[in-house]
Amino acid sequence: MSQLGSYALLLALALSAYSFIGGLAALVWPGAQSERLGETARRAGIAVFAVVFLAALVLVAAAFADDFSIAYIFHHSNRDLPAPYKFATLWSGQEGSLLFWSLLLSSYGLILRLRHRTDTRLFAYASVIIAAVQVFFLLLLNFAAHPFAVMQGSLPPDGNGLNPLLQYPEMVIHPPMLYLGYVGFTIPFAFALGALIMKYPGEKWIHITRRWTMVTWMFLTCGIFLGAHWAYSVLGWGGYWGWDPVENASFMPWLTGTAFLHSVMMQEKRGMLKVWNMWLIFATFGLSIFGTFLTRSGVVSSVHAFAQSSIGDWFVGFLLVILAVCLYFYIVNRHHLRSEHRLESLVSRESSFLFNNLLFVLFCFTVLWGTLFPILSEWVQGKKVTVGPPFYNKVTIPVTLLLLLLTATGPLLAWRKTSLESLKRNFLWPFLGAIAVGVAMLVFGVRPWTDISYFYALMAGMLATLVALTVISEFVRGGRVIARHTGQSLLPSMLHLWHRNTRRYGGYIVHFGVAIVVIGILGTPFNQEAEKEMGYGDKVSLGPYTLVCRSYTQEDNPNYGNEWAIIDVFRGGKQITTMYPERRFYKASQQTQTVPRIHATVREDLFLVKDLYLVYEGINPDTGRPIIKAHLNPMVPWIWIGVLVMIFGTITALFANAAPVRVTVPARVPEPATVGAGD
Amino acid sequence: MTSLVLLYVFYLPGKLRLGPEKTRLSFLQERKETVYENLRDLNFDFRAGKLPEADFKTMERSLEDEAAGILAEIASLERFEEQRS
Repeated sequence: MSQLGSYALLLALALSAYSFIGGLAALVWPGAQSERLGETARRAGIAVFAVVFLAALVLVAAAFADDFSIAYIFHHSNRDLPAPYKFATLWSGQEGSLLFWSLLLSSYGLILRLRHRTDTRLFAYASVIIAAVQVFFLLLLNFAAHPFAVMQGSLPPDGNGLNPLLQYPEMVIHPPMLYLGYVGFTIPFAFALGALIMKYPGEKWIHITRRWTMVTWMFLTCGIFLGAHWAYSVLGWGGYWGWDPVENASFMPWLTGTAFLHSVMMQEKRGMLKVWNMWLIFATFGLSIFGTFLTRSGVVSSVHAFAQSSIGDWFVGFLLVILAVCLYFYIVNRHHLRSEHRLESLVSRESSFLFNNLLFVLFCFTVLWGTLFPILSEWVQGKKVTVGPPFYNKVTIPVTLLLLLLTATGPLLAWRKTSLESLKRNFLWPFLGAIAVGVAMLVFGVRPWTDISYFYALMAGMLATLVALTVISEFVRGGRVIARHTGQSLLPSMLHLWHRNTRRYGGYIVHFGVAIVVIGILGTPFNQEAEKEMGYGDKVSLGPYTLVCRSYTQEDNPNYGNEWAIIDVFRGGKQITTMYPERRFYKASQQTQTVPRIHATVREDLFLVKDLYLVYEGINPDTGRPIIKAHLNPMVPWIWIGVLVMIFGTITALFANAAPVRVTVPARVPEPATVGAGD
Repeated sequence: MTSLVLLYVFYLPGKLRLGPEKTRLSFLQERKETVYENLRDLNFDFRAGKLPEADFKTMERSLEDEAAGILAEIASLERFEEQRS
């Protein structure tokens, strides 16, 4: 098995190298045979997918066959590992995850190369750039992190097993989502760099890559929040985000990618910010590679990172090559990126995009600085100094609130400039609504002068209301226009409106989801917690709940041994549920894991949904009784609800627009204009 | 496996089917569509009551001027293409 896998990886490297060199030669030396050479390079790129897929298949088959002659399978699987986790072995270790990176890149490359007739030359450039990235990963796989390396000496009877923290259903889908996001940014990067190299006339490349970028962004969003949900459900500290370097590594390309999704509209519509957009997508791709480097090089300590290894040097070298190539072509072809228009007013849609971008970049820089600070401090002072949540929160919370303000106001501003009358017309009611919510929060006991976190919660509540009201007003105003033209009622008209411009109205739904997520994040001051050693019949009160320990016990199965408590939960004297917080000991890996239990309550009070979160902390050796920690998190479920709304909005934005209704109107332009929903 | 892969990559019978090359004319057509889309957006926002009439008129004139410039260049390129053919 290992020989077949190794051979497939070598063949994939040869094909990628040919796809890169052959494709490059066809572009650099155009001649009678260059088209045929370019076609063979494209086909070699397609064949890479088949061969890398075979290699991945061999590795998964080896996991299912318990082939411990392959070192990777020995280190990351064992005989009693449940089937879904055996499948997940593919991305649970360093070598396998690099193979998975390569597989996803070849899959994206396959789709791109099959669609080459959209714009043959631009796609040929993008294909060559993707082949170059593929060569790097296949070099790594063949010479530095070989997934099919064989065990030396006698064969072990069983493997070390999968890290217990990863034995959780979400872990089967979280890494693929994250990788689809990381790897996906290679596509807009390849198109952007290709367009710069060939001095591509116009912005069609943005139009071509729009869906790629949105899909990639959606996968990265899913990946990040699945990771946060996994941390919340598995790590047992009651939180979901700890500004861990590996969390940050996935968040940084998301921030610049989100900035790119917004600012690229200025380039499409007004031919502005071309240099900025080019560097944003370069940075996004660079940060994806940098994130992969952070998790694999061992330069930062993290609960998520793979073990320290020598492949960090490969990534540093690759990052330097990317920077040099981008910088070279930018300097040589920078005149091609001249802006077609200037910013006409500070109160305009363009300026709102610009401020939005500056804030996203500031956010990203803060995260980057905090992530790299331990390394920088070690270089400068010889001592590793780590920064924690207070450092990040000082900058990122105000920036998030400002971003929320722009999310609310941006869509209501006109392109070019917005007059005072227009401002009054669009903002009066949403602002009054936001102020009303602020007053209501004060009435219900939020005291922003007692603690800064309450001030942030108040602002989040008001700004999220502003976002919601502006989104609703956009749908209602647009729906009314459609209703006037078609005679339909408002609701079908709003659906019609979305179908006419899916990106704009899908984007508004995403904004709505973001507002809900921010409410969930900044609702932390409403959290409560309690910790107690609980014997039979012992009680703990937490908010409106009373927890009673009914029993505690132990059990054993081939994969792990466990101990857990049985806790009855009462509210107002009535039992509402029973929870089973647990602690496991995995035999193969000899590791312990806490399994917290979460009970989400719905519509019990003003918070609408909230989590009761129980952790089995262990047994007091003196008394033999379990120690239970309980958290009451009233706002956390809103984060997951908001993310679902964001994903839904992104999916709706991916649909194709319906054709606009063509109506002839008297205009100074010699062709008929049409009525449709704006962008 | 290697033979199959090599056959797929290097066996290219007949003429290749490639997409059209991008020209200045196709670029101008794209620009024209973008400006028309901007005009549609502006028109829609005005009808939705987001813009006062004075702002709408100014922006509409500016976009129409941009469209007129693009249409003039398209017309001259098309004339040139006709003469050449």
